[in-house]
Amino acid sequence: MLGNRNYLIGYDPGESRNKIRVFKWLVSCAFLLLIFRLGNLQVFRGDELRQRSEDNRIRVQEIKPLRGLIMDAYGEILVDNQPSFDISIIPEIAKDVELVKDKLADLCNWEEGTLLFETASQPSGKLFVPVRVAKNIGRYELAAVATNLLDLPGVVVDVVPVREYTYGKMMAHILGYVGEISAFEMEGDVFASYRAGDIIGKYGIEKYLKGPLRGKSGGQQVEVDAAGRRLDVLGKISSVPGHNVVLNIDADLQKICWDAFREQAGTAVVMDPRTGSVMAMVSRPSFDPNLFNRGISGEDWKKLTTNPLCPLQNRAISGQYPPGSTYKLIIAAAALEEGLITENTKILCDGTHQMGNRTFRCWKKEGHGTVDLHRAIVESCDVYFYNLGEMLGVERIAEYSRKFGLGSKTGISLPGEKAGLVPTREWKLKRFREPWQRGETTSLSIGQGFALVTPLQLLRAYCAVANGGILYKPHLIKKIETAEGKTVGEFSPEPESTIPISKENIDILNYALWGAVNEPHGTGWALKRAEKDVCGKTGTAQVVSLPEDEEEQKDEIQYRFRDHALFVCFAPYRDPEVAVVVVVEHGGHGGSVAAPIARRIVDGYFDLGQERHIR
Amino acid sequence: MKFDRRLLINFDWVFLGVILLISAIGILNIYSASHNMYMRGEPFYTKQIYWLLVGLVLMIITFSVDYHTIIRYAYLIYLISIAFLFMVSLYGDITHGSQRWLVLWGFSFQPSELMKLVLIIVLARYFSDNAQGGYHLGNILILLAIVGVPFYMIARQPDLGTAMFLMILFFSFVVFVGVGWKLLVSFIAGGMTLTPLCWFILKDYQKERILTFLNPERDPLGTGYHIIQSIIAVGSGNIWGKGFLKGTQTQLKFLPEQQTDFAFSVFAEEWGFVGALALIFIFFVLILLGLKIARDSRDLPGALLAFGVTMFVFWGIFINIGMVLGIFPVVGIPLPFFSYGGSSMVVLMMGAGLLMNVSMRRFILQS
Repeated sequence: MLGNRNYLIGYDPGESRNKIRVFKWLVSCAFLLLIFRLGNLQVFRGDELRQRSEDNRIRVQEIKPLRGLIMDAYGEILVDNQPSFDISIIPEIAKDVELVKDKLADLCNWEEGTLLFETASQPSGKLFVPVRVAKNIGRYELAAVATNLLDLPGVVVDVVPVREYTYGKMMAHILGYVGEISAFEMEGDVFASYRAGDIIGKYGIEKYLKGPLRGKSGGQQVEVDAAGRRLDVLGKISSVPGHNVVLNIDADLQKICWDAFREQAGTAVVMDPRTGSVMAMVSRPSFDPNLFNRGISGEDWKKLTTNPLCPLQNRAISGQYPPGSTYKLIIAAAALEEGLITENTKILCDGTHQMGNRTFRCWKKEGHGTVDLHRAIVESCDVYFYNLGEMLGVERIAEYSRKFGLGSKTGISLPGEKAGLVPTREWKLKRFREPWQRGETTSLSIGQGFALVTPLQLLRAYCAVANGGILYKPHLIKKIETAEGKTVGEFSPEPESTIPISKENIDILNYALWGAVNEPHGTGWALKRAEKDVCGKTGTAQVVSLPEDEEEQKDEIQYRFRDHALFVCFAPYRDPEVAVVVVVEHGGHGGSVAAPIARRIVDGYFDLGQERHIR
Repeated sequence: MKFDRRLLINFDWVFLGVILLISAIGILNIYSASHNMYMRGEPFYTKQIYWLLVGLVLMIITFSVDYHTIIRYAYLIYLISIAFLFMVSLYGDITHGSQRWLVLWGFSFQPSELMKLVLIIVLARYFSDNAQGGYHLGNILILLAIVGVPFYMIARQPDLGTAMFLMILFFSFVVFVGVGWKLLVSFIAGGMTLTPLCWFILKDYQKERILTFLNPERDPLGTGYHIIQSIIAVGSGNIWGKGFLKGTQTQLKFLPEQQTDFAFSVFAEEWGFVGALALIFIFFVLILLGLKIARDSRDLPGALLAFGVTMFVFWGIFINIGMVLGIFPVVGIPLPFFSYGGSSMVVLMMGAGLLMNVSMRRFILQS
C-alpha cells in the first residue's frame, strides 16, 4: 500500500473542499438554467405548444360538396358530375420525390415533364400535405397506379368530381363552364368563403348561380401519426351537395335551333311571349365547356381567344347589332300612338327620299308607289319610315325604344349581358362632341346608324307586341331545388312593364306582321305555313354604309363588311305561344338568310309540340 | 481480499437508491416511448432492464476492487480502450453512416462510451502523479496526447458529440486541478483559434446541424424537425402533462429517437412541468451526492475520480436536457441512467461503482 500513502501525503482536503463548493454553485446555475427553460416552454409557451402538438396530430380535411345539376324544363340532365382521378405525392413519405415521380412516369408511359409538381398548392409549414402531380388521368394510368400503389411510397390517388356537359357546344353559352378559382378572384370579397383550388363557375349559369350550385363543404377531423397515416376519424360533418337548377330551356328545341344553322356565325333565341320564358338560346360558333373541366390547356385557350369569330361570346345577350328593318315596328308603334298617322295614312314611295342635301333610298329601287302603314310594314318600305322617323324626331324614337326595353339590360339570369344603344341628341354630343344631324334621324328610322340592340332585347320587344303589350323579363331559370328534390325557389314570369301602345294599335301592328309573312310581296314569305301562321319582320343591318355605285358588287365585298341578316317572328297569329329571333352575322338579307333558319325553328317547335302531345 | 466490515457500513445506499430510482423511471419512460413500436425481438424496455442488471453486476465488481488498484492500472486500461477504438475503426459496424459499434463475443458495444470513463481514470492518475510542482510544457503535451488520441479516433468515426464530450471532461479536470490561470487562458485561446479550423473538418451534415440549431426553422423537415418536434413535445406537456402513455407527440411518433436521445421530451410531454422538474431535481441530488463524495475523499485520486465521474454524469444531463429543450445543438449524448442504450447504461453503472468505491473507502484511509 505504498502507492496509496504517496497520494495521501501532501493532499489538502480543504483546498478540494473549496473547489467543490465552486463547482456546486456552477452546477446549480446549470440546473437553474434548465429549469428556467423548461418553465418557459411548459408554463409560458405551454398553450401555444399544446396547440401546435394538436395541429401536428389533428388534420382537418375538407369534404368537398358535389356541385348541383342543371336540368332542362323536362327534367333532362344538362350538366352532370363524373369522377376524375388525380395523383398526388406526400413528399415526407415519398422521401425521394424524384424517384417516385420517375416510377410513376414509367408505369404510365408518361414523357418526361408530364408530371407537374404544384408546390405552390402546398400550404407552407404544414407537413404531410399531398402535392398534386397529375390531373385527370386516364383509365389505363389509373389501373397501373392503383395496382402498384405499394411500390409507390407517398402516392395518393384522389377522386375529384368533374362537370360533364352532355350537350357540349350546343349549350355552352347558357350553361357556361367551371374552373379553379384564380388568384385574382381570391382577392375580392365576393369569393371570401372560397379557398385556393376550389372550383367556381366562370361563365353562364355556372357563374350566375355559383352560390346555390356550390353546396356546403363538410369536413372531418382526422388523427394522423408522424408518417401522415390516418389513425382515426375524430369527427365528421358531411358536405351538402349544391342545389339542382331547372331551366326553362327545352333541350330538344335547343338542338333544333343549333341544327337550324349551317356554318354561319349567329344566334337564335326562342321565347314564350306569354311568359317571357327562354326556351332555347344558341350562339354560334361555340366551344366545348368540357375543355375547361380540369383546367383548359394553353393551346386550347389560345385557339378560343384568338378566333376572330369569338366563340366565347354569347351573341344572344352580348352581341350588339343595328336592328335594321326590325326597328320599323317600334317606329310604327310610336307614330301611331303619338297620333302622327293612322293606319290609313298613305305616303308615296318613289324609291328615294330627300333630307337636306342627302338622298336616302328605299331598298326597292323603283319604289313601292303609294303605300299605307300595313303595306309599308309588309313590304318593309324604307321611304315610308323615313317620313315617320322625321315626324317623330330622335327624342321620341328614343323614348319609345326604351319603353320597348331597348337600351338597357333585360336582366336575364346570365352574366355578361350588354345594354345595346338608344341614341339621343345628348348622347351624341357627349360621345362625339358633335350635334345630332337631321339625316341621322332618317337613318335611325329604319334601324341603321347608331342604334344597337341585342337579339334578346329585340325578341322581347316583339313578344310585347305579340302578347298584347306586356314586356317580360326574360325567364331562364324555372326553379332551384335541393339534391333531394325539395323546391327551394320557384320563379314565375316577371312582367316588367306594359308598353304604352293601345290595344287597337297593337292589333294593327300584329296584323301587319302577319301580312309580312303571309301576304303577297311580304318580306317574310319564307315562313308562310299552312296552319299556325307566323307573324314576323325581316331586317338587314348594314355593317358599313356603302357608296351607291358599289351597291351592285355586294357579293364580292369582304365578309366582315357584309350585312347582318335578322328575323324576328312569333306564332300562331292568334294567341302566339312562341317567338323566335334569328341573327346571322354577315349573312346578307334577312328575308333570304335569317328567315329560313327561323322557319326551321318554328316548324321544329310545332312538330315537337305534336310529338309531346302524342306521347 | 479480506472483507472489511467498514466497507459495508460505509456503503452509500442513498446514492445507489437515487440511481435505481432514475433507472426505474427511465425504464417506464422507455416503455411509453416504444410500447407501440413494431419491432422484432425483445422490446426496448425489457432490454434496458437486462442492461441495468448487467450494469449492476459490473458496478459491484467496480466498487469491490480498491480504486487505488484501478488507478495503478490506469494506463493499461487506457491502452486497452484505445485498442478497442482502433478495432472499431477496422472492424466496427457501420450504422447511419458512422462506425461506432464493436461486436465482441456476441455483444455489441460502443468503445467510445467506455472511453469517457477510462479518460476519467487516466486523468485522475496523471493529475495525482503530477500534483506537485506545477505544470510545464512537457506535462501539457502529454495531457494533449492522452486526450487527443481518443478524441481524434472518435471524431473520425464520426461521432463529434462524444469526441467533444471527452474535451469537456478534460477541461473540467483542468479547471478543477487548477493548472493556473495562464495555462487555462492559453488552453481556451488555443481552442478558440482552433474552432474556425474545425469548421473545415466538419462533415456537411454536422455543419447542417449546427446551422439548424442556430435557426431550427431553416430546415423544418430535416434536422430542424427534431428540435421543433422536441420543443413542441416538451411545451405541450404544460404543467401537469398529458399522462403516462398519452403523449401525442410520443405515441404518434412525431418525436425522433424518442427512447434514446429524446427520452426526456417523452417524459416532459407525459408528466408535464411538475414531473420534469421532479426528475431534474433527482438528477440534481445525484450530482450533489457525487460532489459530496469527491469532497469527502481522503486523497487526490479518490477526489479526482469522484469529481470526474460526477462531471461525466452532470455534462450528460446538462447537454442532453439542454439539447432536448433547444438550448444546445442536436448531439448524440444520452441522458445518464435514463435513455435507452446498453453501452451507456453499463458504463455509467461502472462509473457509479467508482463513486461508491471512493465513498466506501474514505474511512479506511483515515486510519
